[in-house]
Amino acid sequence: MRHFPSSLCLVILLAGTMHLPGQEWTQWRGPDRNGVQPQAVIPVEWSGTKNVQWKTPLPGMGISSPITWQDRIFIAAAERQRPDQLHLLCISRSTGSVLWHRRWWGTAPTRFHSSKSSMASPTPVTDGRSVYAFYGTGDLFCVDLEGNQQWHRSLATEYGRFENRFSATSSPLIYEDLVILQCDHYGPSYLLAIDRRTGKDSWKQDRPGKWLSWSSPRLIQVNKPGKGQPDSELVVTGSLSIDGLDPRSGTPLWTVGGMRRECIPTPVIADGVLYAVSGPKGPSLAIRPGGRGDVTGSHVIWENLRGAPFVPSPILVGDYYYLVDDQGITTCLRVDNGERVWQKRLPGAYTASPVATSSHIYFTSESGETTVIKAHVSTYEQVSRNELGEAVFASAAVTSRQLLIRTTGHLWSISSP
Amino acid sequence: MPDPSHPTVSKQILLRILLLCLLQPLTIAADEVTEAIQVIAKTGDQARGSESAAAAVKRLTEEDISIVPRLLSAMDTPNIVAANWYRQAYEIIIESELGKENPRIPVELLKKFVLDRKHQGRVRRLAWDLLDRVEPGFRQAETPLLLDDPEFGRDAVERTMQAAQQLLDDGKQQEAIAVYLRAFNASRLDNQIRAAADRLGQLGEPVNIIEHMGFLHRWYLLGPFDAPGFSGYQMSFPPEKKVDLAAEYTGKDGTPIRWQASQSADRLGQLNLATGIAPVKEAVGYAYAEVHSPREQDVQLRCGADDNMTVWINGKKTFTRLQWLNGTRLDRFTSPAHLEEGINTILVKICQGPQHKNPAVPNNWSMQLRLCDRTGGSVQVRISRPLLTELPKP
Repeated sequence: MRHFPSSLCLVILLAGTMHLPGQEWTQWRGPDRNGVQPQAVIPVEWSGTKNVQWKTPLPGMGISSPITWQDRIFIAAAERQRPDQLHLLCISRSTGSVLWHRRWWGTAPTRFHSSKSSMASPTPVTDGRSVYAFYGTGDLFCVDLEGNQQWHRSLATEYGRFENRFSATSSPLIYEDLVILQCDHYGPSYLLAIDRRTGKDSWKQDRPGKWLSWSSPRLIQVNKPGKGQPDSELVVTGSLSIDGLDPRSGTPLWTVGGMRRECIPTPVIADGVLYAVSGPKGPSLAIRPGGRGDVTGSHVIWENLRGAPFVPSPILVGDYYYLVDDQGITTCLRVDNGERVWQKRLPGAYTASPVATSSHIYFTSESGETTVIKAHVSTYEQVSRNELGEAVFASAAVTSRQLLIRTTGHLWSISSP
Repeated sequence: MPDPSHPTVSKQILLRILLLCLLQPLTIAADEVTEAIQVIAKTGDQARGSESAAAAVKRLTEEDISIVPRLLSAMDTPNIVAANWYRQAYEIIIESELGKENPRIPVELLKKFVLDRKHQGRVRRLAWDLLDRVEPGFRQAETPLLLDDPEFGRDAVERTMQAAQQLLDDGKQQEAIAVYLRAFNASRLDNQIRAAADRLGQLGEPVNIIEHMGFLHRWYLLGPFDAPGFSGYQMSFPPEKKVDLAAEYTGKDGTPIRWQASQSADRLGQLNLATGIAPVKEAVGYAYAEVHSPREQDVQLRCGADDNMTVWINGKKTFTRLQWLNGTRLDRFTSPAHLEEGINTILVKICQGPQHKNPAVPNNWSMQLRLCDRTGGSVQVRISRPLLTELPKP
């Protein structure tokens, strides 16, 4: 029998206490862009003092979420009074100390952003070698993990300034060697795929007729007849439709109608089915992706016309699909048929999207109160309500042992001692 | 025998060689800095020149604080991609210097740079942020003097408003009014303009926001013309060929329509066409005015409408935008425009789309338009038609 050297055992042990690659929260809504971190072990109870590992003040404001890579957290911010002042911070996951702080000028701040958002509304994304930070000013920056700039794209200079009454919020997506952006606004809308290494365009797909939207693109795996491996398709939710495209070329593949004119939530995916919603009071759709052309008549599995949020994205855990609308009305639907299981009004208003572990779902209101409920049960079972005492508009991030909540003033790490 | 008080020729040559040897590294360093700055200047669209720029930033950060004047000058460019590359080097050098026991920040140079209005506003602000860290009193002293500064005017207005409030708190009302007036006249941001106007109104010294911001709030209105669905933008009606204020046309549903003088009651000149013309859907309306300009001048046309709008100045199409259900918001669109000395005609076409799918969503029909300079200040344009006397009696 062979024995591992003791030093190797130590390395493995140390790795086990830190984090596993699958537990990184590298992008908007986490590892699968669904808002769920199944293996996480995080508190269900906290306060401004209880289970607070650390809190770190942030400059300016933003509704973008933190992302993580190993011991690093990356978070974007922009100043309210000087919206062209952009920030990207790298914060130690273990101590909360700021490791580096990059500052940039943004090209073209939009004029009419609301009090909830700022030019730092899209969530950055990392591939573990670089961080891609996108801002409502139309600027995309690539830095390495030490904060050294690799390239900068000023899309407002190249393709026209964004016209957006709340600031662009669509978060970049990584696919193979590309960073993909959804730029839907009052002006000419487009999808753009940029080479991660060089910063140059790989493809640009204009979207005539697409209106202002804030939803983020995502990928779905689609099984094709006669093919062993599933194909990736790019899914974007925008004015009046959900569209599937080839992520390598931007070629449109299929479309499903029924969305509202302005779409904010990012769809979720489970077992190869896409769950999309747009509001306010719009439809929730379960869609079988694939096909070609307009597949509204053939690929919509179910539709539910009640409880759709305008801003927060939905979340799906197990057999249940949860929607919290902007006024706190929370609806639980059955995944298989869209039938309502329960509905409950949570306190407060909601901008942040819920997050979940395999056992609990976390809904954070604008006042900073998080309601934790049990997952996998057919009834509303509240576990706790937790106050931080600061307003929250950003969606949380979840690592293996931390719940990272961005308030208007701080980044909080909620973790059991 | 050589004179010992004078170096020999060979000594002179040696000295020169020595001097050259000493200076050479400096010359090479200076050349490398120039080259690095030039490399970054070439960055731009499609992340052009990024790899070389990253290396150039690294080279620049090997320099000390003495390079700051050159970096400020390099950042003073409209090329924002290049400016951000330079800024990375600037911030690394500054932070390194500030970490020293006796940082050598070039304070006088920074002050001069900050107050020089020829430089890009964003670079002036960056320099001022650094000044705040080494001489915070400078901002306190200088800001109130910058009321007409294109970059720092808003800060100066804010400080002036605070000073006026202080005078008011001290019971010096007349002095406060004078200071509020100074703030109002200098302000270009609508929130500051409204705040100053509100204060002056409360103190019995009303001011005219319409004139200050250059709104056209008095118009002849014509409509509604019939435009089914979203067809209005593509359709053309008689006023686009000729404005005849005496003419009568067939409007929506066969109703006869004529030009009617109308004036906005809104303090920012927003005109409600649902009340000014008719509360209809799927229609087109026109607004027409004549304005007097004291001189031939290039101005900014700032406008917005719900729904889409087209603007002709002196018969020339100056602005058009196809955009439905977009809301009328202040200065939504900005376009360069030219006015002749004397009378100029302004014709605006405003479309009205169908009812929103959600019956609870009101279908607004409105417009807002002003003529101003590039800072948003008045260009002394006056409405000459319609006359006040042409307005319907209340």
